[in-house]
Amino acid sequence: MTSHVPTVARKEFEDAGRSKLLWSLIGLLVGIVVIGYVAIWQTVDDTTAAEVLSFLGVPLQVILPVAALIAGYMAVVGERRSGSIKILLGLPPNRTDVVFGKLLGRMGVVGLAVGLAFLVSLVLGAALFGSVPFVDWLGFAAVSLLFGLMFVGLAVGVSASVSTRGKSMATVVGLYMVFVALWELLTAGPYYLIYDEPVPVEAETWYLVLEQFNPLFAYSNLASAILENSVYPFRFQYGLQEMQAAGMTPAERYPGDAPFYLQDWFGVVVMLCWLIVPVAIGYYRFQRTDL
Amino acid sequence: MIEMSAIETSGLTKAYGDLTAVNDLDLVVEEGEVFGFLGPNGAGKSTTINMLLDFTRPTAGSATVLGYDAQAEADAISPRVGVLPEGFDIYPRLSGRRHIEFAIKTKSATDDPDEILERAGLSADDAARPAGDYSKGMRQRLATGIALVGDPDLLIMDEPSSGLDPNGISEMQDLVRSESERGTTVFFSSHILEHVEAVCDRVGVLNEGELVAVDTIEGLREQFGGGATMTLTLAGPAAEVRAVADELQGVTDVTASGRTLECTIADPAAKARLVTELADAGATIRDLRIEEVSLESLFTALTNGDVDDSKTQGGPADAVATEPEVAR
Repeated sequence: MTSHVPTVARKEFEDAGRSKLLWSLIGLLVGIVVIGYVAIWQTVDDTTAAEVLSFLGVPLQVILPVAALIAGYMAVVGERRSGSIKILLGLPPNRTDVVFGKLLGRMGVVGLAVGLAFLVSLVLGAALFGSVPFVDWLGFAAVSLLFGLMFVGLAVGVSASVSTRGKSMATVVGLYMVFVALWELLTAGPYYLIYDEPVPVEAETWYLVLEQFNPLFAYSNLASAILENSVYPFRFQYGLQEMQAAGMTPAERYPGDAPFYLQDWFGVVVMLCWLIVPVAIGYYRFQRTDL
Repeated sequence: MIEMSAIETSGLTKAYGDLTAVNDLDLVVEEGEVFGFLGPNGAGKSTTINMLLDFTRPTAGSATVLGYDAQAEADAISPRVGVLPEGFDIYPRLSGRRHIEFAIKTKSATDDPDEILERAGLSADDAARPAGDYSKGMRQRLATGIALVGDPDLLIMDEPSSGLDPNGISEMQDLVRSESERGTTVFFSSHILEHVEAVCDRVGVLNEGELVAVDTIEGLREQFGGGATMTLTLAGPAAEVRAVADELQGVTDVTASGRTLECTIADPAAKARLVTELADAGATIRDLRIEEVSLESLFTALTNGDVDDSKTQGGPADAVATEPEVAR
C-alpha cells in the first residue's frame, strides 16, 4: 500500500502558501529579528553577533509557540468542520495519511518561517555586528526549529483529537497558558503544600523533573547551554519558589552531578515528547472517530 | 472471483445513543446497475453511505464494497471508487484544476485533467480560478469531476442533485447514464424521486433507518397499486353509464359528475376494457385522459407521508399512506 503522506503534505503546503497565514508568520518572525537586531545595534555598544543571538531567545519563546499553534490547531478539525475532509478521504488517502500529511505540511510552513528568520539573523549579525557566530547560530537555529515544530505537533495532535474548532482552540490556548502562566502554580503550589516552604534552589528531584518537562524551560535551558549569554525562560512568577531559582536550569539546581534526565541536553527529549505524544493521541482518536 | 456484488450490507446498523439512524440494513447492489437510494431527509441515507466509505463505523453488521470489507479493507476500496460526498467542501485557495490534479496523483491515474473537467462541465477558465470563488453548482461539478478521476468501478454519490438547477440536474443524469454505459456501477441517494426515476435500474427506499422497498420503478408501481386515474368526457350524462364502470374488474372507484366519468384503475388492462364496454353500452366518448399515479405520491406512501411536509398530518396524508395497502 503506497503512502499518500507526501502528496497530502505537498497539497497542504501549497494550500498554506496561498494563504496569508504563511506570509504573516514569516513576516512576524523576520520582523522580530530585524527589529531586534536594529534596535540593539542602535542602542547597545560593544556587543558581538553571538551575544545578540541570545536576545532573540525571549521573543522567540512567545512568538514561535503562538505562531506554530495558530498554524496547526485547525489542521484536521478545520477540514472536518468544513467537509473538505470527505473529499480527501473519499480519495485514496486514509486517515493516517491525513494526520501525518497535515503534520508534515504545517511543519514545512513553520520550518520555512523559522529558517528564513534565522537566515536574516545571520545576515544582519554579519552586517551590523561584523561577525558570523556560525556554531552558536546553527545550534540555536536547530533548537528553535525543534521548538517550533514541537508546537506544530502539539497543535496538529489536538486538532486531530477533537471534533470542533472551539475545542481545539481552547485546548491549545489552555496548554500554552499552563506552560507560561500556570506552571509555577501547578508545580510549586503542591510543593508548598507538601513541604510547607517555598521551593528552594535545591528542590526535591521530582520537582526538578517537572521543571524539566515544561517545553518552554527545556528550550531556554538548551538555548542557554548553546549561546554565550543565558536565555531566561518566559514564565509568570508567583513567588512560590525562591527568586534566585527562577533563572537556573534543573541541572544547576541539582546538588552534585545531575542525572541525565535533568541535564540540559535532555530538553531535546522533552521537546520530542511534547511533539510525539500529542500527535499519537490525536492519531489514535482520529482513527476511531465518526466523521 | 465469482459474481461479486458492488455493494452488500448485512445487518448494517448505526445507533447514536438511543437513536437508531440505520437499522439492520440488508442491501445488495449488483455490478453494473444504477441504483437509486431514496428516502426523506434524515432517513439514514448519508449514514449508510458514510459507513460504506468508512467515514462512520457501524455499531453492528458489516458492509462490503466491490468485495472488500468497508472497514478492514477500506484502503483497497478507495482507489476503485469515485465518491461525491454529502456536505463536502472544496479547498478554497486551490484552483479547480489543482483539485483534479491532486485526485489524479492520489489515484495514480493517467487521466487528462482537461478531459475530466470537461466531462464534469467546468470550463478551462473556471478551472484556473480558485475554487473558493465557485458557486454551489460549480463546486458540485468539481466534486463530481474528482469522483470521475481514475475511471472508478463504482460511483457513490450522496445527494448529487442538491444545489443544482434543473439544467444541472439533467446534466447530472446524463453523466450517470454515460458512466453506466462505461460499465460503472452507480449508487446514488436522493430525497427527490423524480431525480432518480429517470436513470435508475432499481431503487431502494429507506425510511427511518429501515429499508421499506427495493425494486425497479415499474415493479414499485405494480406492487403498490400501479394505479391510474382515467377521466372520460362523454357526449351524454355520465351517470347513465356509471354502472358499466362500476361492474368492471380492475376499476376500483368511480365518480360521475355531469358528463365526466372519473375512474380509478388498479389493473392496467382494465383501461382498454372500460373504453370498449362503454362504447358497447352506447356511450360516446368525446375525450379521454389517463393520469398515472405519480411516483411522488407512491414515495410519499412508502415513507408514511412525512417526506417533506410534516404539516400534512391526519386527513390527506393518511389517506395516501393507506392507499397502497388497500390496493395490495
